[in-house]
Amino acid sequence: MSILLLLNTDNRHSTTENSLLKLIFSNNSYFHKLSSITPLVVFRIAFGIMLFLSTVRFWANGWIESLYIKPKYFFNFYGFEFVKPLGNYTYMLFVICAISAILVSIGYYYRIAIISLFLSFTYIELIDKTTYLNHYYFVSMVCLLMIFLPANAYFSLDSYFKKVKKCFTIPSWYLDALKFLVCILYFYAGIAKINEDWLLHALPLKIWLPARNDMPIIGFLFNYQETAFAFSWIGCIYDILIPFLLWNRFTRIYAYFAVIIFHALTSMLFPIGMFPYIMIVTALVFFSSDFHFKILQIIARVFNFKTEILSKDGIFVGSFVKEKAIQYFLLLFFTFQLLVPFRYLLYPGKLFWTEEGFRFSWRVMLIEKAGYAQFTIKDSKTEKRIVVDNSEFLTPFQEKMMSTQPDMILQYAHILRDYYSKNGFTEPKVFVDSYVALNGETGKPLIDPKVDLAKEQESFKHKKWILLY
Amino acid sequence: MKSLFKIAIITLVTLITSFCKNPTSDTEPNGDNQASNRKLMLTHLADEIVIPSYAKFKTKLDSFNIQINTFADSPNESNLIALRNSWIHTYNEWQKVELFDFGPANSISLRRFINIYPANPTTIRENILNKDANLEFSSNETAQGFPAFDYLINGYANTDAEIVTLYASNSDTIAPKRIAYLKKIAAQMTNKFNQTYTTWTSSYRNNFISNSSISIDGSTSQMINGFILNYERYIRSGKIGIPSAALMGTKNPLLVEAFYKKDISKKLALTAHQASVDFFNGKSVKTGIEGFSIKSYLNGIDAKDSKTGKLLTETLNEQFNIVNSKLNGLSDNFSDIVTNDNQKLIDTHDQFQVAVRMLKVDMTSAMSIIINYADGDGD
Repeated sequence: MSILLLLNTDNRHSTTENSLLKLIFSNNSYFHKLSSITPLVVFRIAFGIMLFLSTVRFWANGWIESLYIKPKYFFNFYGFEFVKPLGNYTYMLFVICAISAILVSIGYYYRIAIISLFLSFTYIELIDKTTYLNHYYFVSMVCLLMIFLPANAYFSLDSYFKKVKKCFTIPSWYLDALKFLVCILYFYAGIAKINEDWLLHALPLKIWLPARNDMPIIGFLFNYQETAFAFSWIGCIYDILIPFLLWNRFTRIYAYFAVIIFHALTSMLFPIGMFPYIMIVTALVFFSSDFHFKILQIIARVFNFKTEILSKDGIFVGSFVKEKAIQYFLLLFFTFQLLVPFRYLLYPGKLFWTEEGFRFSWRVMLIEKAGYAQFTIKDSKTEKRIVVDNSEFLTPFQEKMMSTQPDMILQYAHILRDYYSKNGFTEPKVFVDSYVALNGETGKPLIDPKVDLAKEQESFKHKKWILLY
Repeated sequence: MKSLFKIAIITLVTLITSFCKNPTSDTEPNGDNQASNRKLMLTHLADEIVIPSYAKFKTKLDSFNIQINTFADSPNESNLIALRNSWIHTYNEWQKVELFDFGPANSISLRRFINIYPANPTTIRENILNKDANLEFSSNETAQGFPAFDYLINGYANTDAEIVTLYASNSDTIAPKRIAYLKKIAAQMTNKFNQTYTTWTSSYRNNFISNSSISIDGSTSQMINGFILNYERYIRSGKIGIPSAALMGTKNPLLVEAFYKKDISKKLALTAHQASVDFFNGKSVKTGIEGFSIKSYLNGIDAKDSKTGKLLTETLNEQFNIVNSKLNGLSDNFSDIVTNDNQKLIDTHDQFQVAVRMLKVDMTSAMSIIINYADGDGD
């Protein structure tokens, strides 16, 4: 019960008398609202630790080797072709990432650390789109946002060593920016679930859940379609409502328990790594500043910090120009975030099939897709032809991801074109015989087998050689 | 909005409490639950197909060994014919167990010692002269097993009389070495097979059944991976695709299975394919009756085309039938077909290909199983 009280108390002293005047006399009063910095500080500490642990886990699982060093070829993102794999130096990149994460957590050389964290983490993610996950994108975006937030102004080594002015109070909008990004993630993940397959057919959960029916205690439930339907609907409603329920201080505590249950369940059911834990920690940012202040007190007690470190003094004052610049950046940033997930509307065909405009849109766990792609190389001048053994070029994981995603199929076709034009073929033509099954429907060809992919170019335009669903 | 949320929470809580109330659910005689119970499937596959098939193969292999000893003691034409017949029966029986490429057979790579073809006559002749030749080496994969016997008892010379002379001649100092090599590769096969069979019956059966998970190291996943791998690589490609160059390379009549015997490649292919179909359908080797199987599991988890509602298992069995009739339409001697009527093999291969896609994509997707055998390095 005491925990409940602790979680539920809301802090209202955030607006000082001074700012009240500003509120009244200002045109854009929202930007003059003030609040305590503590939620941001706790988030900074926890986020840094989580990222440090993720990096260590990645390393310990041998994934640096298997995902970034072992593959012979990599799938760049369109527009980021300058990002190159670093071979054994990839380990250095992870070291930089891990050290930056720790520095962010303790708030030491924060600005440099968060920039370097953003760059190193994002670089890793840009090396190969095979490994793309929404939650990596989320981490990158949070890092980018955090560059502009004064998260080191309190309870940090920077403020302790007086490298920055210690401030307990900051403009609320800094904090709101972070919360807003989390809200977008949940809300968009929720509306992405409003589709026929998810709601009316309980797909793909209807496929995934029975596969877990030997789980202890609850496994047998997954034999029933009703369970898949319940999970689908609850999941959709949960995602859509959770931002509002977390924001509202009366429902927050219940919402947070829902967050824990939801993410714990998904982490038991599906191999989704650190993501559930990151979200459980991230959702804390919605709690009151008093709650976070208590967390800081506990940390201070455990590490025996001096009490003055927790004094509630100092108001953060950014320079007018700098604040305006950041506000315009945020406007741009959030406009981008709000619009990009809808870019799929500009493409014809079924999104889950073509995946044009699928990434960077918080579409998580939405489709069960498997495929098989067999490439034939033909010489332009002679009758010479060869059927490609994909395992000579790609890792099994790359092959699996490539075989269902048209843009990766095109990239791979170009890899093959370049390889075979150096190895005995004149202007090789590349054809693919593809077979893809989506959400339990019997498989069918994804790509027009008559189109020479060697001649097709990547662009943001619709790929006409994708056979429509 | 709030009430909706409350409903969601209440539903969740109800779900969770109901999870905890039902610890005895495993024994509930619910038809649906049983069909989608992987332990029941694995139990039936182990007890009614894998282990009894291995037992049958063992019987054949034991009598094959006896025929080898008889031939070794008195190499004459009638013993050669008896040995050859036994070889055909045993080789055919092998086709019914080669597909169990999971568990012990997979961990010792049983196939490497029993059926890698084409045999390499040069290596075989070198090994005969070198009694220390190590059959564990991968360079010797093509100098042992049924394909090596194929060469040694069918293709070593033009006539049976000439073949017998190679083993029986008193003046030929290599003859005893040839006899020794027959025994050596028979012993290697027997040894490797017995190791697999004993592991199954002593300990692996229980591991196989209890570790029913669909994750990569679970036996459901390993069984499905081994089954599809065998179907794709060793039936489709090995028996049809590679000799006919359906996918690449140049067609080559030397690459068919049982090249020296000539007239049994169709028989072997049909047996291997039927064994895969029976395994899929869970047809008991003991009773001939279908039990819990990949088929019943797929039906149990309601794997069907979400548009037409047609069961995936029906679609698959139809395709298996098409492949079967294509195989039946071929003549006995595949190396002849490669030379004279290769398009027939390519057509057969194309139908195999349709089945492979369904197994690899539709079936694994329905089962949430990841195909991981593409990894050649095996790590």
